Amino acid sequence: MAFTQKLKSLIGGRQDSLPLPVEESVSDILTVGAGVTKSKVEKKPVNPHEEQEIIDGIEDKYYNNESFDTSLFELQKLPEQLDLEKITEDCVKLRTQLQAVSKRVSELILQNHSAYATELQRVMDLQRTLREAGAVCQSGRRQLSHARESFTIASLGLLANYRKRQQLTGLLKSLRTIKTLQRTDLRLREMMEEEDYCGAIQLCLECQKAASTFRHYKCISELSSKLQDTLEMIEEQLDVALSKTCSGFDVQHYQKVQRAYRQLGKTQTAMDQLHMHFASAIHNTAFTIILGYVELTAGSGGAVNFQKRQYTDLCKNITIETFTPCLVDLCKALWEVMKSYYKTMKWHEVHDQEYAQTESEHTGASVEATFNRRYVNQKLEYGRGRIWQDVQQKVKMFVLATNLSGFKLDEFIYVLDIINRMIEIGEEFCGSKSEGLQDSLKQQSLNYFKTHHQMRLDELRMFLENEAWEMCPVRSNFNILQLMEFRFMRKWATSQHLIPENETRKGGESYDDNSAPDGETKSYFSLYLEEGNPFDKQTEEEEKEDVFSGMGDNEDGYADSDSDSDIPDELKKDYIDEITGETHSYKHSKRRPSSRSKGHRQGPLITNTTFNVLRVMGKYLQMISILKPIAFDVISCMSQLFDYYLYTVYSFFGQDSVSVDLINPQSDRSINTRLFTTLQRIRENLVAHPNTPNHIATEKQDTTDKITAPKMSPLVKLSDASTLFGLAERVVATESLMFLAKQLEYLQPYLEELIPSNKKAFLSQFYTQTVNMACEVRKPVYSVVSRQSIIYESVLQQMGTVRWDIKEIMSQHNAYIDLLLKSFTEFQKRLADIDKRVPLPKAVTNLIWEQCVRHANRTFVEGYASTKKCSNEGRALMQLDFQQFLTKLDQIVELRPIPEREFVEAYIKAYYLPESQLEGWVHDHKEYSNRQLLALVTSVDHLGRKSRQKLISMVEEMEKARRT
Amino acid sequence: MSESYEFLFKFLVIGSAGAGKSCILHQFIENKFKQDSNHTIGVEFGSKVVNVGGKAVKLQIWDTAGQERFRSVTRSYYRGAAGALLVYDITSRETYNALTNWLTDARTLASPNIVIVLVGNKKDLEAEREVTFMEASRFAQENELMFLETSALTGENVEETFLKCARSILTKIESGELDPERMGSGIQYGDALRRMHRQEKLQPRSARPDCAC
Repeated sequence: MAFTQKLKSLIGGRQDSLPLPVEESVSDILTVGAGVTKSKVEKKPVNPHEEQEIIDGIEDKYYNNESFDTSLFELQKLPEQLDLEKITEDCVKLRTQLQAVSKRVSELILQNHSAYATELQRVMDLQRTLREAGAVCQSGRRQLSHARESFTIASLGLLANYRKRQQLTGLLKSLRTIKTLQRTDLRLREMMEEEDYCGAIQLCLECQKAASTFRHYKCISELSSKLQDTLEMIEEQLDVALSKTCSGFDVQHYQKVQRAYRQLGKTQTAMDQLHMHFASAIHNTAFTIILGYVELTAGSGGAVNFQKRQYTDLCKNITIETFTPCLVDLCKALWEVMKSYYKTMKWHEVHDQEYAQTESEHTGASVEATFNRRYVNQKLEYGRGRIWQDVQQKVKMFVLATNLSGFKLDEFIYVLDIINRMIEIGEEFCGSKSEGLQDSLKQQSLNYFKTHHQMRLDELRMFLENEAWEMCPVRSNFNILQLMEFRFMRKWATSQHLIPENETRKGGESYDDNSAPDGETKSYFSLYLEEGNPFDKQTEEEEKEDVFSGMGDNEDGYADSDSDSDIPDELKKDYIDEITGETHSYKHSKRRPSSRSKGHRQGPLITNTTFNVLRVMGKYLQMISILKPIAFDVISCMSQLFDYYLYTVYSFFGQDSVSVDLINPQSDRSINTRLFTTLQRIRENLVAHPNTPNHIATEKQDTTDKITAPKMSPLVKLSDASTLFGLAERVVATESLMFLAKQLEYLQPYLEELIPSNKKAFLSQFYTQTVNMACEVRKPVYSVVSRQSIIYESVLQQMGTVRWDIKEIMSQHNAYIDLLLKSFTEFQKRLADIDKRVPLPKAVTNLIWEQCVRHANRTFVEGYASTKKCSNEGRALMQLDFQQFLTKLDQIVELRPIPEREFVEAYIKAYYLPESQLEGWVHDHKEYSNRQLLALVTSVDHLGRKSRQKLISMVEEMEKARRT
Repeated sequence: MSESYEFLFKFLVIGSAGAGKSCILHQFIENKFKQDSNHTIGVEFGSKVVNVGGKAVKLQIWDTAGQERFRSVTRSYYRGAAGALLVYDITSRETYNALTNWLTDARTLASPNIVIVLVGNKKDLEAEREVTFMEASRFAQENELMFLETSALTGENVEETFLKCARSILTKIESGELDPERMGSGIQYGDALRRMHRQEKLQPRSARPDCAC
C-alpha cells in the first residue's frame, strides 16, 4: 500500500507542476505496462489471493530505494554455482511478481483515473484563473505607475522649483549688496580725493558692518579684508591730510580732518601724529631750502649728491652770497610752519569752547571727550616749546655754519635783524627766551664784531700813519652829537639834558619814530596771520632802517648845524684878525684875553683821525643797540680804540728827543707813574711788536687781537726848532686826545647804561686808568718843547761866569736874566705864530709856560749851586736877579702862582740861616739834589769849619739813604 | 680780513665840494647810493679788493673833503697816492673850473707818477648839464688824464673808473715805469707777495734749527 501511496502522492504532487501531457506519458507508461502484463497474464491465470501472495512475496529490498537496481540485486543474489533451474525458477517468480505488480498498478490506475481526470480539470481551472488574476494585476500595476508619473512628480517639482527661486532671489539681493560694497571702494577713493574723510570713514565703517553680516559668503572675507585695507588707507590719507596742516593751515581742511579723527576715535593719536608731522615738516622745509640753495650755488660742477648730506653739513656749503636770502627763505618757511601750528592751537581753543558748549547740553559720554580735550591741549601746549626748539635749532645750525665776518655791516645787521625777529617771534610763540638763537646771535655777533674791530683798528693805524696832525676845522660848539654816527643818541642826550634846548625838538620826533616799530613788533602772529610774512617786509624797511647811512630827512636840521661849520671860511679870517689883534695888543697893555674872543674862536682841536675814531665809536654804539648781548665786548673794543689813540699820541710826541723810554720811566720826571702804567698796559695788551723775534711764531695769535704800533707820517717834523719842535702838531695831537677823552666822559653815563652790571668795574677802571690819564699825556709831550725851546744851557753857562763873592750890593741884575727873558720872549712870539695856525688852548700855553718857568727855576738853583764862594752881597744879587726875572716874566706870561718860585727863593735864603737852623733846613729839604745842598753848605761863609764838616757828612748820609 | 691781494694801491678822491666824491666811493664800495650825504669832514676812508687783469688788488681809497677849509688837512693825504679820481659835477661849471687847481695840487703833492682819472659825475642829471663831454674830454687830453662820466646815483661807470685807474697803474708796474718798492709810490705788495718776501728773508733763520735736529 505504501507503494500506491507513494505513487499517489507522486501523482498528486505532480498535478500542479505537470502539465497535461503528463497524463499522456502516464498512459503511455500504462500502455507499456499493459502490454507487458498482457503477455504474462496469458500465461498464468491469476486469482486475487494468489496475486496478493505474490505481491507480498516480493522482497522488501525492492521497496527500499527508488534508484534500486533490481537487475544488479538479482544478479548479486546468484550463488557461485549457477543453477539454471533455480535461475529459471527465480525468473519465473520474478516474472509473476512483475505480473502481479503490473496488474495491481493497472488496476489502481484504472481505479483512480476519473479522480485524476477531475482533479486535473480542477487544476486546469485553477491555472486559468491564476492567469487571469495575473493579468489584472499587471494592468493595475501599469495604470498605477502611469498615474504616479503623470501626477505627483510634476507638482512636487514645481514646489521645489519655487522654493529654489525664492532662495535665489535672496542670494541675488545679497550679491547686489556685495557688488555695491565692492563698488563703494571706488566711491571711497573718490571721497578721498574730494577730501571728504568724514564721509569716507562713515561709509567705510558702514560697509564693514554690512560686510560682517555677509560673513558667510566666501567672497566677503576677501572684501572685508579689503575694506580693512581701505580703512587703513583712509587713515593714511588722513594722516597725509593732517600733515598738510603743517605747511598751510586751512580751517575747513583741518576741521574735516579733526572730525574724521574723532570719528575714528583717534583724537589723541591724531595729536601725536600732528606733532610728528610738524617736527618732520620743520626738518623737511629747512632741509629743502638749504638744499635748494646749495644746489643752486654748487651749479653744474657739483657732481656731489647733496641729498644725502646731513643738515649741518649742508649748511656749511652755503656761500656768503646766498646766506642772507637763504636765511630769509628759511625763516619765512619756518614761520609758515609755526603759523600753522599757531592757527592749529587757535582752532582748538575756539573749537573747544564751541564743543564744550554743545556738550554741556548733552552730558553723556563726555568724560572721554573732556579727557581727550585736555590731552590735546596739553599736547599742544607742550608741543609749542618743542616746535620752537626745533625751529630754533634749525636756524641756529644754519646761522652758525657760516662765517659772517666778511659781511658788510648793514648786511650783517640785516641778518641780525632777521634773527632778532625770529627771537621775538619765538618769544611771542611760546615765551621762549630762545637761548639757542641768542647764543648763535652772540657768537656770530662776537665773531663779526671782532673781525670788524680788527679791521677798524687796522684802519685806525692807517689813519694814524697818514695823519699829519693838522687841525680839522669844525664849529666851536662841536660835539659828537653832530656826527651822523651819533645822531641816534640825541634822544638819550635830551633825556639826560645834555644838549641845548633848541636841539631837543628832533629828539621828540625820533622818539615817535621809535615807538612805532615797538608796537609793530608786538604781535607777529596777529599781523601776519592771514597773509604776508614778517620776513618779507624787510625790503621796504631796509632803506629806512639803514641807520648807518643816517636817518634820512629828519637830520636836515643837523645838516644845517653842521654846515654852519662850512661858513667859517670867512669867520676863520675873523679869528686870525682877532688873533693878530691880540698879538698886537698885548705888547702894550696888560694881556687880558677877553673871554668872548677866546671862547668864540676856541673850537675843539680835532684831527681827522679823531673824527675817524669818533665815527667808529658811534658805529660801535649803534651796534650795541643791535648786539646787546655783546655790549661789553663792544665797549671793551671801544676802549681799545681810545687806548690805541692814546698810546700813539704818546709814542709819537711824548717820548722823542730825550730818551724817555717806557722801560725806564724814572728818567723823565714829567711822566706820571699812573700814566706810565696805563701806557705799559696798552703796550702789553694791544700793541703787537713786529720787531721781536718771536713775533712771527705767534703771528696768528698776535694779529687776532693785537695791532702793530703805527709809524708817524714822514710829513711831521718834530725836530725843527723853528716850529717849536712841531708844537702845532703836538698840540693838535694831544688836544685831540683830550677832546676824545672829553667825549668819552660825556658818553660815560650812556655806557654805564649799556654795560652789564657785572662788568661795570671794567668801565670805571677804563675811565680812571685811561680816559682820565689822557690829560697826563700833555706833560711829557709839551715838556719836550718847553725843555728844548728855551736856552737853559747857555743861561746856566753864563751863570757859571758870574761872581757871587762880591763885597758890595749891586743895583743891576745880571745879563743871564736878560738872556733867559729874551729866550722867553722869542718863545712867546713863536707860540703866537703857531697860535695863528692852530689856536692854542689856554691850558696848553699855561702848561708850557709853567714847564718853562719850572725849568728856568731849576736852572737858577742849579746855577746858584755851582758857585764855590758866595758873600751876603752875592746872595742879595741872586735875589735881585730872580726878582728881575719874576717881574719881567709877569709881563710875558700870566702865571699865578709862579711854579717852584719857593724852590729858588728858599735856596737863596737858606744861606742866611744861622748854623743851628741850617742843619734842620738841610734835613727837611730833600727836593734839592746832593750837589745843590753840598754847594749851599760849602758856600755859606759864616759857618764854622767844624759845623760845616758835620753838615757835609750829614748830606752825604742823606745821599746814602736816598740811594738805598 | 681774510682777503688776500697782490697789490695795494693808495687812491685819492679829490675835487670841489658837492661834486659827489663820497657818493662815488659809497657806490663803489656798498653798491648803493648814499641818499643823505653831508659834507665830508676831513678825510674818510674806504677800501675794496678788485680784480684787475686777473690780479687781486686792494684799493685803499682816501675820500677827501672838498671844502676849502679842509684843504690843509686833506693835503697831507696826497702824499704817496698811486692814483687819483679828480671829480667834478657836470651840472656845475664852478666845480669844473676848479679842476686846474686840484690838478696842480695833486701833481705837486702826490707821487709824481700819479695816475689821475678825470671824473664827470652826476651824469644822470643830463637836463642840468653845464659842462659838455667834449669840453671835459679836451681838458683831459691836454692834461694827459683819463676821462669818464659817471653817475653815483645809478652806479654807471663808477666801478669802471676805479678799475681803469688801477689797470693803468698795473700796466705801469708791469712795464717798469712804476717801481712798487720805491718809497711813496703808493703801492705795496699784498699779503701773498709780502709773505713770499718774508719767507725768503726767514729762510736762513728757520733753516738753522732744522740742521741742529
